[in-house]
Amino acid sequence: METESAIRTSRQDELYQEAAASHGSALERLVRGYEADPDRCRDLSQEIHLALWQSLARFDRRCSLRTWVYRVAHNVAASHVIRDHRRNSRTLVGLETVEVQAVVEDREQMLDQRQAIERLLQLIQQLKPLDRQVILSRLEDMDAASIAEITGISPGNVATKIHRIKNILARRFYEGGIHDERSLQ
Amino acid sequence: MTNEACNDMAKIWKNQPTARVNISLEQLRRKAGKLQSRVLWRNLREYAAGALVIGTFGYMAWTIPPLLPRLGCALLIAGTFYILATLHKRGASAVVPAEMAFQTCIDFHRSELERQRDLLRSAWSWYLLPLVPGMTVFLVGLLVFTLQQPNAKAHASVIIAAFAFIAIFCAMVFLGIDRLNRWAARKLQDEIERLDVLTKES
Repeated sequence: METESAIRTSRQDELYQEAAASHGSALERLVRGYEADPDRCRDLSQEIHLALWQSLARFDRRCSLRTWVYRVAHNVAASHVIRDHRRNSRTLVGLETVEVQAVVEDREQMLDQRQAIERLLQLIQQLKPLDRQVILSRLEDMDAASIAEITGISPGNVATKIHRIKNILARRFYEGGIHDERSLQ
Repeated sequence: MTNEACNDMAKIWKNQPTARVNISLEQLRRKAGKLQSRVLWRNLREYAAGALVIGTFGYMAWTIPPLLPRLGCALLIAGTFYILATLHKRGASAVVPAEMAFQTCIDFHRSELERQRDLLRSAWSWYLLPLVPGMTVFLVGLLVFTLQQPNAKAHASVIIAAFAFIAIFCAMVFLGIDRLNRWAARKLQDEIERLDVLTKES
């Protein structure tokens, strides 16, 4: 009995180490999308790692390790946002209603990474949890099917949201993006 | 340009410098232990508050002479036991981390919203209502006892008005809490319905 429990624990530890090695950096980026304050960012990150480690005791390969990791991380982070939202009564918006201001900026300026990241985070952090999950997954280069598997949103709705995200990014980060967006529709 | 913008942003996003959090397995085990003791202390605090209420009304039920307020105290104690039992049951149904992986984000989000909605909708029945019979009998008992005192008849109308004021105030507080809870529950229900649209194919 004791041996069985020890084997389970060691498997859980191995899975966690594998997940942390493969997705550790992506998890840190994900956390930044949910929390702006650096101290609370660290707390949220630790909360996610703890939940991930605990959850892996029951990992049964019904989905890939990547899907498992992202579901746990997004769900812990979404709970954090909901708790925070209740405390501060901050209004969160959907992708459909987010205010998009075209910023006059050329591509070189846009490629100033720090500035671009800060502006992107400002955009992400005002979104409702599910829309954050979609945009953060898309930024990690996931396709619509993977995003649908993680979030549970139908692939059709994911595709619509991704289209909207692309338009928002173009309008927000490129000069003259509005014309390009119209030409695509 | 839209695809280009998205790809550029994804590249920048993935290349951003991040401080990797290195948590050892030993630290994780310690944190899990701490979390368990935090839950234990929270439960103990709730039970201690319940014990204080039960102790206070128990002492009153034992020492005050008139029957009706004593009965009120007994009913308040029973109501507090019911609230504590419900709190215990709800605490036991807290989310286990693995459930976060078994559910998609939308299902998890939905179940969290439903849990909060149901908690708000039912607060009247498990948090407020159990105290109503005890408070009513206690107040009526005190009123009867006060009116039986010498010289009370001369000031009967003032005494009745004072008790009526207390009773109306308590009722207003209870109804106000219930209204607020129901309003918040309706907002959560709207959110749930919006999530349902997202799970259906567009």
